[in-house]
Amino acid sequence: MSWQRPNHPVWREVALRWLCLAVMALGCSLAVQAELPYALIGQSAPDFALRAAVGGNARLSEHRGEVVVLSFWSSRCTPCRTQLAALNRSLTTYHSAGLAMFGIGVDDDPAQARDFARSASVSFALLLDPAKGVSRSYQVDNLPMTVLIDRSGTVRTVLRDYSPENEQLYLQQLRALLNE
Amino acid sequence: MLQMTRAMSEADEAPRRAAPVALLAPLLAVVLLAAAAPAAPGAPPAGPAATTPAAAASAPAPPAAEANSPLATSSAAAESSPDTRGLDQEIQDLKKDVVDLNRDLFILEEELLFPANTQVAVFLSVDVGQFFGLDSVQLKIDRKEVINYLYTPREVEALLKGGVQRLYLGNLKVGGHELVAFFNGKGPNERAYKRGASLRFEKGVGAKYLELKIDDRQKKLQPEFEIKDWE
Repeated sequence: MSWQRPNHPVWREVALRWLCLAVMALGCSLAVQAELPYALIGQSAPDFALRAAVGGNARLSEHRGEVVVLSFWSSRCTPCRTQLAALNRSLTTYHSAGLAMFGIGVDDDPAQARDFARSASVSFALLLDPAKGVSRSYQVDNLPMTVLIDRSGTVRTVLRDYSPENEQLYLQQLRALLNE
Repeated sequence: MLQMTRAMSEADEAPRRAAPVALLAPLLAVVLLAAAAPAAPGAPPAGPAATTPAAAASAPAPPAAEANSPLATSSAAAESSPDTRGLDQEIQDLKKDVVDLNRDLFILEEELLFPANTQVAVFLSVDVGQFFGLDSVQLKIDRKEVINYLYTPREVEALLKGGVQRLYLGNLKVGGHELVAFFNGKGPNERAYKRGASLRFEKGVGAKYLELKIDDRQKKLQPEFEIKDWE
């Protein structure tokens, strides 16, 4: 029964195969999640009014006529910080073309979200949604999640993750909306 | 020694061959199921089991043993799922239509039973606003919250320029009622400031107009909150 030892090559091989399969399964599930349809595409964007972590309150309907980007974030989400910085760069470039941007924090603890908002040096308003009413109405199922709303207030695009490829896609979509 | 090594290697080889097969079979099945389950609606089915629904449909009813087999079950599910999804969609659309119709009928009923000239309207105005920066207003009528409104800087600016906002419009029974308003914002020295004001009023048959006024009291260097009843 010497083959039952945990450090035996058989078990190492089995463990390696399990690991490979688990990684494959995870990849499959992520790919499936990325392709999930978003029910709000083509629908009117749900209106909201939220308190900002820093600065004044914001209401979506006040920005009708502008292209609006909503980015849902959390203080526990590491890619969110990178994404907010990338969004801030795009806002600097396209602000004069009629772009408005809001980050919506989904943290339960507003104090934690405020700390995150103060540390994230972005020029757009970071709003707080501790009750998660807005997150529910926008069907947030992944963080970071970015929703692009056109000038007529219709949801046009959703990006459920952040990566350099996604950033390129985001910029393409944004330019297209700004040119409409 | 050589024999012993050979014997050990043979003994090792058996579980080496058997263990991965035994362990990988259920995992492979789980992975395949996970990949097959969330397939997009309307997507063409993949795999040999799913490529034969037409043949299965044209063939006579299979025996019970065959029908109970997992392959037959998955094939039947793949065959019936598009129809079921279509039916579900139709039911959902129908439900939505019913809800929309119900809402329209409710609005129509409200308009007929309670026309605008018999309703209660509550307005809000801000004068000067030097000692108070408005953030939100909570309105309660007869101890029931009817509105909780959050103000943006643009809205506050519009109010400071003389705008009057209709905060609430609703129906109330004829008789006595109590209105309570809570004002949240920043008071003198940028401190969080919350104040309330209340008014008991009599609702008659006709319309009722009430105004929440935020004013500055220069003598006390404090804001003043007042509810005015427009007769």
